[in-house]
Amino acid sequence: MVETFQQTFGAPLWLAVVLASGLKVTLILVGGSLGMMFLTWYERRAIAYMQDRRGPNRVGPQGLLQPIAEAIKTMTKEDTTPLEADRIVHFLAPVVMLAATVLTFAIIPWGNLFPSDLSVGVLFFVAVGGLHTLGMLMAGWGSNNKFALLGGMRGVAQMVSYEIPQVMAVIPIVLMTGTMSMQRIVEAQSGFGGLAWNVFTPVGLFAFVLFFIASLAEGERTPFDIPEADSEIVAGYMTEYTGMKFAVFYLANYMTNLAICFITTSIFLGGGNGPGVNELGGFLGGFLSLIYFFIKALFLFFIMVLIRATVPRLRVDQLMGFAWKFLLPLVLVNILSSALWVSITRWDQQAQIFTTWFGAPGTADAPNFIRLGVAVAVTVAINLGALVMVMGLNNRASQEHMRATDEELALGL
Amino acid sequence: MNYIVVVIFLLLAAITLVSGVMVVTVKNIIHSALWLIASFIGVAALYLLMEAEFLAVVQILVYAGAVSILVLFAIMLTRHVTGEGTRMLYERWWVALLVALVLFGAVIVPTIWNQGANWDAAATAAQSSITAFGEDAAPGTAVASTINIGESFMREYLLPFEIASLLLLMALIGAIVIAFEEPTSRRRVLTLAEEHALKQRGIVEPRDAEGAVMPTIEAEQAL
Repeated sequence: MVETFQQTFGAPLWLAVVLASGLKVTLILVGGSLGMMFLTWYERRAIAYMQDRRGPNRVGPQGLLQPIAEAIKTMTKEDTTPLEADRIVHFLAPVVMLAATVLTFAIIPWGNLFPSDLSVGVLFFVAVGGLHTLGMLMAGWGSNNKFALLGGMRGVAQMVSYEIPQVMAVIPIVLMTGTMSMQRIVEAQSGFGGLAWNVFTPVGLFAFVLFFIASLAEGERTPFDIPEADSEIVAGYMTEYTGMKFAVFYLANYMTNLAICFITTSIFLGGGNGPGVNELGGFLGGFLSLIYFFIKALFLFFIMVLIRATVPRLRVDQLMGFAWKFLLPLVLVNILSSALWVSITRWDQQAQIFTTWFGAPGTADAPNFIRLGVAVAVTVAINLGALVMVMGLNNRASQEHMRATDEELALGL
Repeated sequence: MNYIVVVIFLLLAAITLVSGVMVVTVKNIIHSALWLIASFIGVAALYLLMEAEFLAVVQILVYAGAVSILVLFAIMLTRHVTGEGTRMLYERWWVALLVALVLFGAVIVPTIWNQGANWDAAATAAQSSITAFGEDAAPGTAVASTINIGESFMREYLLPFEIASLLLLMALIGAIVIAFEEPTSRRRVLTLAEEHALKQRGIVEPRDAEGAVMPTIEAEQAL
């Protein structure tokens, strides 16, 4: 893009860079906000149909203009700050939150279009997404309200716990593709006629499920929407916010969800890869990849909505137990099995014995199906075994606790 | 010479330093923790300016995202430590200043001692290596990539790495030992259905965690 500005318009280098970056940032911001508007409408309509209602259907065709009406409504509302609140922190909290969210969009590959290719893209997403927590804490503390503070504390405890399984769930993919750049991860999934998605390997499938669950918690989606549990602590950290500031929180939340869908799509579901993208190539291929990308991301968002409509909220202790006792061991085991996967499918010089047993490692044109089969069998066995074991351990512990309590109750202690 | 880079560097350095000073001068302890985060992010931006992407992202992930959040969390859990009205300076402030200067000197003097001779060479290399956007940096000034860092952890710095991991493991186990609680020492909260079933069986009236009899729903309604 920089070259285009330089060659077509004869702009100097610095101006070309500024123009190109400005254009990208504008596109990301506009795309993100429009996407968020669409998502609010989509979620409300979808959840309404799941609950046998109609949802918003009056403003515009099928209610599509409802988000715009709501944006006008929030903008015209009075913006109040509590008298005892810390004014600066209270004001900065939504800004920090939105900034952290928008930054994550910098590394999202839109189909075959890349705003920027950071060599540590995956890590960047998690790190900057973690700054989200900061806005939550600032809002909770700055509001000088006990519900807000409670919500902020809950949010921080949740985010810090779920960040760990989220980062670790990506490590198998980094091991398998050998890079952390989003662009290369997407490119690595373009084989087999555009269907070599990471989710089709046992390790990738396991990592996908774990990553998506941890991301649900990071995006405060329903089974984990404890920071803003409206039936318990009013609206959590957003309690003291009105008008546009509240809307900014809302925007940040939905943009985070959108980013999570996009990132999960890129890492696990092949991004814009699909049948026909490589064959078409050029502009048409890029367009097709964009369509594939959006379909996959929207499908993931649909799953989020489905979960919201069906799964009740967790209790705080259940939330913590789930992250530390269930997700974390499984994620660790998955890293082990992904290392086995890489060694079995690829090692040649490092361990000659693999070559003598299963033959030379396959290439893109001639995959070695024996090696693949063995790798699939080994990783499936390990992952399933770990799943059964962890579930059994968790079940036994909770049942023992229940039994002990029951005995105690029966004795009237 | 690329003046834009210099201007950006000066801006970032100013942000980092100013927020660092604010950390120690601001009275409200929460504000000073927030300034600390700003300072961490400034350092991360400086790393990014040096094209050390991995280091920058880890700085944000670990320091801005985890350490400072835990600091804030700990402050908020302990009541009445807003620090409004406490004195900031005591009589022996100059001792603290001295210690800080000595520590800073311990870092900066060996660096200048060892690398001072290379100063001019490094400056010219830096000037010539600032390339146009999209081009690769000159080979002499390449920054360690993620792969280099990972390999050095597993090869030349294996022992420090293992010792650090062991230390962290010990801290983890210690934290668990301190926080551990006998599973049966606190009773699970009964659901309404369970409470009802227990009463139906005539076994027990519900009690709270201390063992005092809790009023039943009927008794509450009668009041």
